Amino acid sequence: MVLEAEIEVRRGDMTVVATFAAGDRETLAILGPNGAGKTTIVETIAGLVPTADARILLDDEPIHDLPPERRPIGIAFQDGVLFPHLSVLENVAFPVRARGARPRAARIHALELLDRLAPGIDPGEKPGSLSGGERQRVALARALAGTPRVLILDEALSAVDVSARADLRALLRRTLSDFDGPRLLVTHDPIEAMTLADRLVILEDGRVSQTGTPQDIREAPRTRYAADLVGMNLFAGRLTPLEAGAGELQTADGVVTVPWPEGIRVGPVDDVLATLKPADVALHTARPEGSARNVVQGVVEEVAVVGDRARVRLASSPRLVAEITSGSAARMAIGAGAMVWASFKAVEIHLMVERGPTDTL
Amino acid sequence: MRARLPVAIVALACVGAAFVLLPVVALFVRAPWSRLGEALSGVGASTALRLSIEVSLAATTISVLIGVPLAWVLARGEFPGRNLLRAAVVLPILLPPVVGGVGLLVALGRSGLVGRWLYDVLGIQLTFTTAGAVLATTFVSMPLVVLATEAGLRGLDRRYERAAAAMGGSPWYVFRRVTLPMVGPQLAAGAILTWARALGEFGATITFAGNLAGRTQTMPLAVYEARQVDPGGAIVLSLILVVISIAVLVALGGRLTGLR
Repeated sequence: MVLEAEIEVRRGDMTVVATFAAGDRETLAILGPNGAGKTTIVETIAGLVPTADARILLDDEPIHDLPPERRPIGIAFQDGVLFPHLSVLENVAFPVRARGARPRAARIHALELLDRLAPGIDPGEKPGSLSGGERQRVALARALAGTPRVLILDEALSAVDVSARADLRALLRRTLSDFDGPRLLVTHDPIEAMTLADRLVILEDGRVSQTGTPQDIREAPRTRYAADLVGMNLFAGRLTPLEAGAGELQTADGVVTVPWPEGIRVGPVDDVLATLKPADVALHTARPEGSARNVVQGVVEEVAVVGDRARVRLASSPRLVAEITSGSAARMAIGAGAMVWASFKAVEIHLMVERGPTDTL
Repeated sequence: MRARLPVAIVALACVGAAFVLLPVVALFVRAPWSRLGEALSGVGASTALRLSIEVSLAATTISVLIGVPLAWVLARGEFPGRNLLRAAVVLPILLPPVVGGVGLLVALGRSGLVGRWLYDVLGIQLTFTTAGAVLATTFVSMPLVVLATEAGLRGLDRRYERAAAAMGGSPWYVFRRVTLPMVGPQLAAGAILTWARALGEFGATITFAGNLAGRTQTMPLAVYEARQVDPGGAIVLSLILVVISIAVLVALGGRLTGLR
């Protein structure tokens, strides 16, 4: 199953123009700042924008002429949009019943989904009393309930508080990879996009500014926005305690010293994500003195100048992207092939713990 | 801490409260309690009461059945003359009911614009019938449910209906399972106001349907007639309406007045 979309929609004083395709079992993130037109794209694919000029093909079969109720698409909407007058169970059963299933069959199907995606939530409860994370779980179950061929998650993590985010992210990851078909992940959160998607479409002011894998975009962001938000250093791996307040993150291509995450008493912790802004990486021509805990050496692979800044890609261990002013890049004669030192402080690293510690005692 | 109110405002408020309460109290004081049963049977109270309830409930049902779709069109439709249509729908609230009655007469009376055709071709006569009383009552009271429902629809977050459509709901299914239940409270409040207005309807009914005991003589008409022959009976009939109104207020527990 492949989803292809060519969209042109005028909405207010903005025109959204986007062309993209999501392959079978591929998670495509549509990443952009608020107001970039992401929701317009979701609504156009769903058939909710009558004025849209769109060509949407599902396995070469056009679905853009179908009314919304006949498009085989499941959407977990931003903020859930759960019906306040229906119970959790009735909400999840809604897409099944709307397509003509008997109430009993719909109930059973909905209960199965809730059991899998939202255990611990009383199916008879009204959505009003649920937390943000619980609402998203129910919304996710409801998106899958109609056995859609395309799954769309619209800002699935944005209304969820930080404590529930890690669990929900893990659930999203599982749900996305279990879904047999194209998946769209619409988000303004680069971390969400980078960690959950196979490929990214970056949307700015209603236009696609770049398409590629997270790695492509991290290494060669084409716009300021992409550079600032996506072009971050991302480390993933196993976290072990080092000393009071510090830990060591063992990634596939190197070790990074990081601050120990609050609220976790004993390690090691698996699946820890950490980000570091390129601007927080300092470059030196000689081994630096100073307090920075992380000091690595590497060969410059590429220098990309965007405006007055230079993004420097280093083949170090771990691999790094640094951002310095183009003036200092010139002063230090940093160019492809040069051997440089990079340093960054542990406190500049932002940690995200995906799951609880393996040992809670 | 309780707010300190200026004396002048409190005094005027007392006058206002007394003004509203006095007629109700007077009805209780002056009621012919000693010959209550006699007064009740003498003025045909049970007939008028039953007719009143039938007519008001029928008018409320019709108002909801055609008023809710009308509200939907007003809230959601985009067509030229929509504001004009809304003004026309509200008009019966502002019109003196007797004018509504005259209008109905020239439209649906036996020699009226449409009524002539109804009578000649289909043999249907509406004037001086219970159906006519229902029609006149509906004309006057329907705008209340239309306005309340339209306000509810306008206040409804459209994302719910859009989500429902995207989840496979046909327009009718979405209306039935999402739109209607979500405007339910406003619709119910509107229907109750409509019913209360229908129960008190006098002018349009007496003008269009006449004042025939057992057919078109609802409670307000019976009160009006009894006042000329039996003032005590009129008080008893009025008291019945007062008691029904108070019962509704109590049953709604402040929902009608917006204080829950």
